[in-house]
Amino acid sequence: MFVPDGANILHADLDAFFASVEQRDDPRLRGRPVIVGGGVVLAASYEAKARGVRTAMGGGRARMLCPDAIVVPPRMSAYSEASKAVYGVFGDMAPVVEGLSIDEAFLDVRGLEHITGTPAEIAVRLKREVLERVGLPITVGVARTKFLAKVASGVAKPDGLLVVPPEAELAFLHPLPIERLWGVGPATSAKLHLLGVATVRQVAELPEADLVSMLGRGVGRQLHALAHNRDPRRVRPRSRRRSIGAQHAMGRRPKSWHQIEVSLAALVERVTRRMRAAGRAGRTVVLRLRFDDFARVTRSHTMPYPTAQTQAILLTARALLATARPMIERRGLTLVGIAVTNLEDGSALQLELPFNRRSRDQLDAALDQVRDRYGSAAVIRAASLGRDQRSPPPLLPD
Amino acid sequence: MKIVCSQDQLLAKLQIAARGVSQRSTVQILSGILLNASGERIELSSTDMEISLRVPLEARVEEPGDVVLPGRLLLDIVRALPAADVTIAQPGGTGAAQIECGPSRYSLNTQNAEDFPQLPVPSGSSFSVDRAAFVDTVSHVGRAASKDESRPVLTGVLVELGEGTVTMAATDSYRLSVKESALPGATGDVQAIVPARALGEVVRISTGDSLEVSVQENQVLFGMDGVWLSARRIDGQFPNYKQLLPQTFEHEIAISKEELLDVIRRTSLMAQRNLPVRLSFEEGSLTLAAQTQDVGEARESLPVDFHGDRLEIGFNPDFLRDGVESVEGDTVRLKLISSLRPGLLQGEDGSFWYLIMPIRLPS
Repeated sequence: MFVPDGANILHADLDAFFASVEQRDDPRLRGRPVIVGGGVVLAASYEAKARGVRTAMGGGRARMLCPDAIVVPPRMSAYSEASKAVYGVFGDMAPVVEGLSIDEAFLDVRGLEHITGTPAEIAVRLKREVLERVGLPITVGVARTKFLAKVASGVAKPDGLLVVPPEAELAFLHPLPIERLWGVGPATSAKLHLLGVATVRQVAELPEADLVSMLGRGVGRQLHALAHNRDPRRVRPRSRRRSIGAQHAMGRRPKSWHQIEVSLAALVERVTRRMRAAGRAGRTVVLRLRFDDFARVTRSHTMPYPTAQTQAILLTARALLATARPMIERRGLTLVGIAVTNLEDGSALQLELPFNRRSRDQLDAALDQVRDRYGSAAVIRAASLGRDQRSPPPLLPD
Repeated sequence: MKIVCSQDQLLAKLQIAARGVSQRSTVQILSGILLNASGERIELSSTDMEISLRVPLEARVEEPGDVVLPGRLLLDIVRALPAADVTIAQPGGTGAAQIECGPSRYSLNTQNAEDFPQLPVPSGSSFSVDRAAFVDTVSHVGRAASKDESRPVLTGVLVELGEGTVTMAATDSYRLSVKESALPGATGDVQAIVPARALGEVVRISTGDSLEVSVQENQVLFGMDGVWLSARRIDGQFPNYKQLLPQTFEHEIAISKEELLDVIRRTSLMAQRNLPVRLSFEEGSLTLAAQTQDVGEARESLPVDFHGDRLEIGFNPDFLRDGVESVEGDTVRLKLISSLRPGLLQGEDGSFWYLIMPIRLPS
């Protein structure tokens, strides 16, 4: 018997994530406008949003709009820890979780009615668990499709819960402004407004051919489908990233071979630390070079076994750099980058013979611990002494 | 230059010389074989700068001279020729070479013999060792050498020659293989890291009872029935392998070699993409299991003399099979400490040992 799908996709989205973590950890910030990030606004609390502060806005403009805002520097490690904890709750609630970013995910809860509850009941429990276990507010939208679930959570924010039952979908969707449609950014929005199209209903009334000729094939078709409430995409766990890398732009002034090698070593340290934090190991090391004329080349080498060990990857990277030396000396170098690909789960890891009395893996683990606790610059290579020790931009977990 | 040689003789010698022809070098001359008929000895030479070969050829010289011919192509041509006399000539000593055999005629572009690299010649002390013992020692350890060029030292085999003995060690950093043998004829106290590939060629090419060995500053030369293979010695520090052998082990289990090999072969079919085969030891039994996600799994038990707490350890199936196959005799002695420490495979005596690092299993 054919059973039409019910509203069993949840879109869970943490509210003003970075700012909420700051308010959670510092009681003095609660109830007050908080801006995370001194330069560009990385996140704003709802109190600041109410005054017009938006993510990615320049810091000066944000302070003008909201002079009494408290500006705090970002603490990426706290956010990634909170994100991990929230994803832990997601995993407990649903068999299939598709992460979209550090602070939002789709959950598929079909078939759980007789086990843990209806989608609405699960959504209520999800909100309660995230608040109790992680201390953060989260908004959940529940619908039959991913698109509608996301729209629902957007409408319900902050700290909300909105269920769109299948029979009420069009009634919910059609009055919404076009900006709620996936794929409608400022440019598309402006084009549609010029034609007097402001609501989803009006989009739905346009023939697909008109939308395609106006907006291009991809966007036109997508908007037509969404406005007619067609979104067949399933919730599927996101495939994990395929490479982890870092690069260093070196400017155009001449640089010694030694300087290049030191930069490479610092990049390898950074990349391998991230790999170990993510529990990944890789087989292929890719060296990226950009010359004075901005032409780029890559050189790669595949090792027999995946590794996340700093020394092993550094040896390979150095060998690649050495083969490129004549080219670098001839053409000048303005950027060096390193990436490790062919990533595998680090969980089943081929161990190495302890050629040195203390293994390299133990050294890596010890250095990781020191840096996690005291910062990246707490332990550095002697060759990097006296060099700029600005910490690299904060990165979300891989 | 003009020589005449029987097709079977020429083919046999070219097959040896072609093994030294460079496969992918951008230096074109290295893809050639030098045919030298200007001196007393008629010789075919090839080199890829890591190993080089000098192969004597029995032929009738009608006009002395030397020429570099395209190596792979020449081999393919001679292989296709009928069993008859083959004439190779370069009239006037320049230009194309003519190859004739019965009604077949070839004209081949050549390169200048003067551009061919000078190959090492045996000099100083050389000695003659028992070929079978040498080859046997290489076969025990060669497979453990690394194929990863980014750590050159590990692509070599450490060869330590003593008075009447040889010890060879090879490791790719995941396993280590060491074999000590009596080697009648060996003298002195010599250590050299020799490319594993070169030793593999010695195993393949050599015939007869004895092998000439000449260790020089940068090269090691092996003489085999008139064929000389020289190998570039690898610079660097070979890992101190003796200190890697653990002093004591928690468990020592003797297993029938053939039986264990069969079980490894069967179960490892289900360990794809570098995945481990799991060895679970329980009172009186060993279970091997392997599984690959989205493919399936395999499991097989065999009775063994194991006592104590359950022990589970994962190994790369290829590494494990290499080790078991290298053990001499009918019984493998497997020594273990814990699931994260190296395991040791040995035969009935202590002359061979194969240390293998486990794969850390997901908990």
